[in-house]
Amino acid sequence: MVDWSDLKTLTVEKAAAELQRRKPEFYNRYEGENDEFGFNLETFAFWEVIFRFMYEDYFKVQFEGIEHLPAEGRGLLVGNHSGLLPLDGAMLTMAGVNINPSPRRIRFLATDWFFQIPGLREWCQQTGQVRATLENAKKLLDMDEIVGIYPEGIRGVGKTFRERYRMHDWHPGFVQLAISTQTPVIPVATVGGDEIFPNFANIKTFAQMLRMPFFPVTATFPWLPFPLPFVPLPVRWMMRVHKPIDLGYPPERANDRRLCSKIAKELQYQIQRDLNEMLRERKTPFTAWELD
Amino acid sequence: MSFADKHRTYIRSTRKGRDFGFNVKTMAKLAPLLAFLYEDWWHVDLQGLKHLPKKGPALIVANAGGVLPWAGLMMLHALIHDDQPRRLTILTDLDWIEDERLYSTAREIGLMSWSADNAKRLFAEDETVVVFPEGIQGAVKPFGERYRPRAFDWTILMPAVEAHVPIIPLATIGPEESFPVGMNIDWLAKLLSLPAFPVTAAFPWLPFPANVFSLPVHWKMRLMKPCDYKKPASREEVEEICKTLALFAEGEVQAELNRLLRTRVKPLF
Repeated sequence: MVDWSDLKTLTVEKAAAELQRRKPEFYNRYEGENDEFGFNLETFAFWEVIFRFMYEDYFKVQFEGIEHLPAEGRGLLVGNHSGLLPLDGAMLTMAGVNINPSPRRIRFLATDWFFQIPGLREWCQQTGQVRATLENAKKLLDMDEIVGIYPEGIRGVGKTFRERYRMHDWHPGFVQLAISTQTPVIPVATVGGDEIFPNFANIKTFAQMLRMPFFPVTATFPWLPFPLPFVPLPVRWMMRVHKPIDLGYPPERANDRRLCSKIAKELQYQIQRDLNEMLRERKTPFTAWELD
Repeated sequence: MSFADKHRTYIRSTRKGRDFGFNVKTMAKLAPLLAFLYEDWWHVDLQGLKHLPKKGPALIVANAGGVLPWAGLMMLHALIHDDQPRRLTILTDLDWIEDERLYSTAREIGLMSWSADNAKRLFAEDETVVVFPEGIQGAVKPFGERYRPRAFDWTILMPAVEAHVPIIPLATIGPEESFPVGMNIDWLAKLLSLPAFPVTAAFPWLPFPANVFSLPVHWKMRLMKPCDYKKPASREEVEEICKTLALFAEGEVQAELNRLLRTRVKPLF
């Protein structure tokens, strides 16, 4: 058990120094880099500590298949989205930094809404998220980054508790991207995210009024004052990363819609099958999986 | 109006070719019960019958639930009342039925033991067949796992793929809430030589007619587009196609279940 008492006196400088000490390979890789999309290593280091606390001691993520993340070169991570606050991406990033033998960051494509809110925009950019457009994605892949996409989109984040682990249909755009840039696709399944903030209902009128993608009603939101609704339940998480899949189609086939939607469906079904299997093996949301 | 007058075309369609133990008289006797369950008790909302081929054989792969193959029985009713009525055979495990009368009734309304030979014979006679590739474990899965199909058994698709029969996925919501299963007791099932021993709110506590009581949940059934696959040339290819098809059909069913559950307003009454 790590001692987290230094979280109270955490500063950006201290966090950066700590990251440099802990993961020199990661730090040196991205230090002094002038990132087009506004990645800031110091801000990242600060938030890394907080999310690492969640990863290691709060959600106690059990991770399978970290070796499938490529050490070098590009990759396209796709998976099921969850959680009202999309912490699944943050947890993947933590795995990519901390338990990865060759630590790397993962650049997630985030919906426009995050980039409309003044404070949140800078935060998203500095921790490595990028506005979801086709050009941005192509640029990132050209820079040989691992790009994370949740093809369910924002609908997947706002799932109600009754719909937990029942995926919405995937948007096939990511297949088009993967084929046109010849990128291997890495499917990832996450169990745990859908239960950290049990969402009882989505209120469409409020969402439209406040221009939010959805307006959830949970046990704590919007009833309790500010920080409390953002405290997640200590659910155990499990993530499973599959082997990178080379789709093996020439770039000309990228505009073949039927092909793209068929591949997207197959990947979606594989992840849903994984979710069902992991849920079946789990006893309660708060207990660990017995892995062999 | 009697069954014979109302369903002339249906009866004519069942008289063609081999009967496989089917008896339209038994069907006529049971039809009112099926009609009651379909229309009044479960309010089945079935869509997508247009995806069934107009002629030739077809294989429907469905998610299991609710202990007995109720979804298949509801399809029986739907196909009697379809514009183009036809007979349906439900391929499932019948070997556990000891009672002679029950067994022959089951055979006479169109249930049959699953075997590759039976399936091949049925396809040769252009029959429509429904199978539940999850197996019995899928039919008795506990309530907490409702509408999450178990892995589809790909071997069940082999006769169909060999004969290049259209494979049509069928998603059903309802049976797993009509017959909520608490748990399945394996050792008791083994002791009684039954395929499974589900414990529900009524079974095995209440005496016979009461223990098959079901909740009047509104059912929804959706037949989907046939999965397309290429005609296999060799035995190895058949296996390969079956494996991918089983995964794909399972995914199609699961995705449709998710969609149905998401858009459902009220499950009961």
